[in-house]
Amino acid sequence: MPSLVVTAHTDAQTIAAERENAVVLLKSLTIDNQRGNTDNEIIIQDSFTPSAYYGTPSPGAQVIERFKVQAVQGDMITLNEQDLKGVKCLGAMLVDSDNIDADCDITVGYEHEE
Amino acid sequence: MLELQPKPQFSVVVPPKLLQEGYLVTFSSDWPSTHNAIREKTFRIDVCNQVPFDRSFILPTGAAGTIYRDVDFSNGSGTFQESIYPENQSSLFEVLLGFKPGNFLSHWYIPASKSVHQLEYAGMYPDITDNTKKYLGARQPKDSPYDDPRIKLYLVKDLAPLIMRLYVLPGVDYEKIVCGLTVNKCLMRIIEAPTDDQLLKAKVIRYYDYLRW
Repeated sequence: MPSLVVTAHTDAQTIAAERENAVVLLKSLTIDNQRGNTDNEIIIQDSFTPSAYYGTPSPGAQVIERFKVQAVQGDMITLNEQDLKGVKCLGAMLVDSDNIDADCDITVGYEHEE
Repeated sequence: MLELQPKPQFSVVVPPKLLQEGYLVTFSSDWPSTHNAIREKTFRIDVCNQVPFDRSFILPTGAAGTIYRDVDFSNGSGTFQESIYPENQSSLFEVLLGFKPGNFLSHWYIPASKSVHQLEYAGMYPDITDNTKKYLGARQPKDSPYDDPRIKLYLVKDLAPLIMRLYVLPGVDYEKIVCGLTVNKCLMRIIEAPTDDQLLKAKVIRYYDYLRW
């Protein structure tokens, strides 16, 4: 299972790119806000552009929130596969935050479901 | 306990899912005259080449049945055309199609406006705008799983457009529909005077209209 560490940022950061024939499953999420400077809301987003369909040849890009958790300053949150069951992204998986905090580490484990 | 497994009295041979080199195919007499090159003729498969091709579509749900995607397998540059029909008279494309799990249905039409699966009573026709009849004749992902596809299509040059209408069921915002295709490209060589034995062994490929009597 691949994983990636990012720090909290208000610009959504790509964790896993979209793959044509697979969805991205969120497998684990660890938010280390022990050294953080503020409470941070961490959001897992799903970014994709729908396919053309009847009456709509060029649908607009979509960003949908799939999971949201509040990490209180000084806390550490660890969520495993069971806690995150059912969280999947149809397109790219992004992580977003309501604050910029270079001391809040977010580790995201993911998998492309073949 | 010690047990000696007895030798089996027979073994079951599972035939291959796809046409193989050396197999025979016959096109029945119900093919129209526009397909004279193959109508009522028998061919030997000389070469096979399996081409896998995954296609996916992310579609929004359409509770009212007004949102759907028509996947047209015929050739062309249209938005909805997949261009997997043969271009040569001597080619037969045998296509296996399976779905990854998801909240969606597929309806099948050939040509574009005529459903393959309709019943005989008036109005018993697949209709995704109708809460009940959206399920009439619908093929669901479990009917043809990605790893064990059960939908099989036989495509020849200039066949009428075969349409797969994909519709996302209510209850989800969007769904990703992944279709796994295996295009078994078969090069056919005509057998000018097939023997009775060859005709008996040949796989009969009928025109699609036989499904609608």
